[in-house]
Amino acid sequence: MSGVVCQQVAIEFPSAAGPIKVLKGVDFEARPGELTMLVGPSGCGKTTLISVIAGLLRGATGSVNVFGQQVTSLSNRQLVPFRLANIGFIFQQYNLLAGLSVIENAAVPLVAAGSPWPDALDAARDLLNTLGLTPHLTKLPRQLSGGQQQRVAIARALVHKPRLLLCDEPTAALDGKSGQAVMGLLRDLAVSPDRAAIVVTHDPRVYAYANRIAHMEDGLLVNVEEVLPAQLATTH
Amino acid sequence: MIRIAFRILLHDAAKYLALVLGIAFATLLIGQQSAIFHSVVQSSTREILEASEADIWVMKPSVETLDQTDPMAELAVNRVRSVPGVAWAVPYYQAIAQLKTADGRSKSVTIIGVDETSLVAAPRTMLIGSLADLARPDAIFVDAAGFSTIFPDTPLATGATVEIGQRRAHVVGISHVGPSWTGLPRIHTRRSIAIEMARETINPVSYVLARAAPGHAPADVARAISAATGLQAHSSDGFRIQTQNWVLKYSGVAENFGITILMGVVIGVAIVGQTFYMFSIENLRQFAALKAIGVANHRILGMISIQALFVSVVGFCIGIGVASLFFAIFSPQLTGGLRGMFMHPAIFIGTGFFIVLITLISCLISVRRVLTVDPAIVFRS
Repeated sequence: MSGVVCQQVAIEFPSAAGPIKVLKGVDFEARPGELTMLVGPSGCGKTTLISVIAGLLRGATGSVNVFGQQVTSLSNRQLVPFRLANIGFIFQQYNLLAGLSVIENAAVPLVAAGSPWPDALDAARDLLNTLGLTPHLTKLPRQLSGGQQQRVAIARALVHKPRLLLCDEPTAALDGKSGQAVMGLLRDLAVSPDRAAIVVTHDPRVYAYANRIAHMEDGLLVNVEEVLPAQLATTH
Repeated sequence: MIRIAFRILLHDAAKYLALVLGIAFATLLIGQQSAIFHSVVQSSTREILEASEADIWVMKPSVETLDQTDPMAELAVNRVRSVPGVAWAVPYYQAIAQLKTADGRSKSVTIIGVDETSLVAAPRTMLIGSLADLARPDAIFVDAAGFSTIFPDTPLATGATVEIGQRRAHVVGISHVGPSWTGLPRIHTRRSIAIEMARETINPVSYVLARAAPGHAPADVARAISAATGLQAHSSDGFRIQTQNWVLKYSGVAENFGITILMGVVIGVAIVGQTFYMFSIENLRQFAALKAIGVANHRILGMISIQALFVSVVGFCIGIGVASLFFAIFSPQLTGGLRGMFMHPAIFIGTGFFIVLITLISCLISVRRVLTVDPAIVFRS
């Protein structure tokens, strides 16, 4: 089963000085059962690439295939339910809904997909317990530390069992220890045989959690590094 | 998603309060001013409303409005009585005269002369005295508000002797009537006395008040009276509308209140629109996150519409509650310009619809930004 396969993906944005090519023909693959890291300097196109993969950014050329579905051929109307069913997001700034409790935040994707609140809350509770957030279920996001908020974001990203997990700098706002803990949880919970995980990061301290590391530079994929099982970080 | 919409709305108490209070203020301004406007316009037809026994008013063709009387000969009463469909008809006299108190103070008053025998159009509510007292020699009723302007700082009481149009009169009753368009004290008396007070040399009739016989519509009987007598005749409702239209056209009251009500609308739209816009912009990232997760635009629109509907209903309830309290305090008072004013149910309902409408429109204007926001902004730090 293929996970994410990008072929010759290119995109440019208009600017006063003329169009800027942000992706210049990227060939990229993220396999199911693996955590693939997308690394490289700022502005090299990492976040743009995952935005194109998620269908959040339109206008790219080339082919983007997510678990057998050509994302670039989907209309905006088709993309919304596709994302809801197949993709989980973890953002650098968490983007939790400030007025919702921890457990409600984690339940949002299920509710959005039509699950009744009680069922959604049950599923969210199970996941949050696994993530060690049992004492914080009814708290608001602002009452949590950054690491705890990112764990809520992990729960929200995984609660509806998506086939693709997209993480944008999940440890950038965290201290080293919290970052390691979050990556450990991601590896434990997100990586499964039928799910691919892509993590965009600048942080070399978390490279050890990747199965593969794709290096980008100036809008191109320049190198893909396989991480041997023996080199993988051990978690908990 | 309704739960999420409410949580986003109620989470920031300060913004929620600003929204609700903005709407409440707009509701208060629109509802209260509309009700006062309605009450003021209605006061121009006070005598028609209070002469509830009659459902037909007959007058000279030259009369355009209630206060603009043009006396007719008393014969007009019998001519009206002779028209088929008329159950009864009585004379009614109304004029403005000068009242002098025993200590020499002078005051313009409206004198209303009612039919001697039937007392049709006499006041319904007496605070002191009774309707039968009007049969006493030189008897007059003074309305409570008028009494306090004629006899300042004097408790309501009968017994005073005054002079109206050089005719002596005794205050034998204090009536409670709503405010009139002119604001002058209202003196009710028998028509024969009223004519002497107005120093009329003939025996005039301002209006003939009539009632349609059972089974006859007042408007039809009024048309028959006009056809048979050449006089102008209306049903009570028809004359009321004619008078109100005259007031709206010539008095400037519509323009004055219209500007205030328009200000309420503008302030309401501005406050609600601006606050909702800021609210939406400040929550843009949260809505973008929902869009990225896979929440469709129409569901986000539904969430924001529910938020708008909720704050508009809460704001309306507070605003209309304050307006109602205002009328509950001032309306029952015996004196003062706000006595008798009230909020008509149509104004209550109309204000509610209008407030919900402007809130939804304001919210839909501000929601455009949310609907067009690029969900990819959630990837930007």
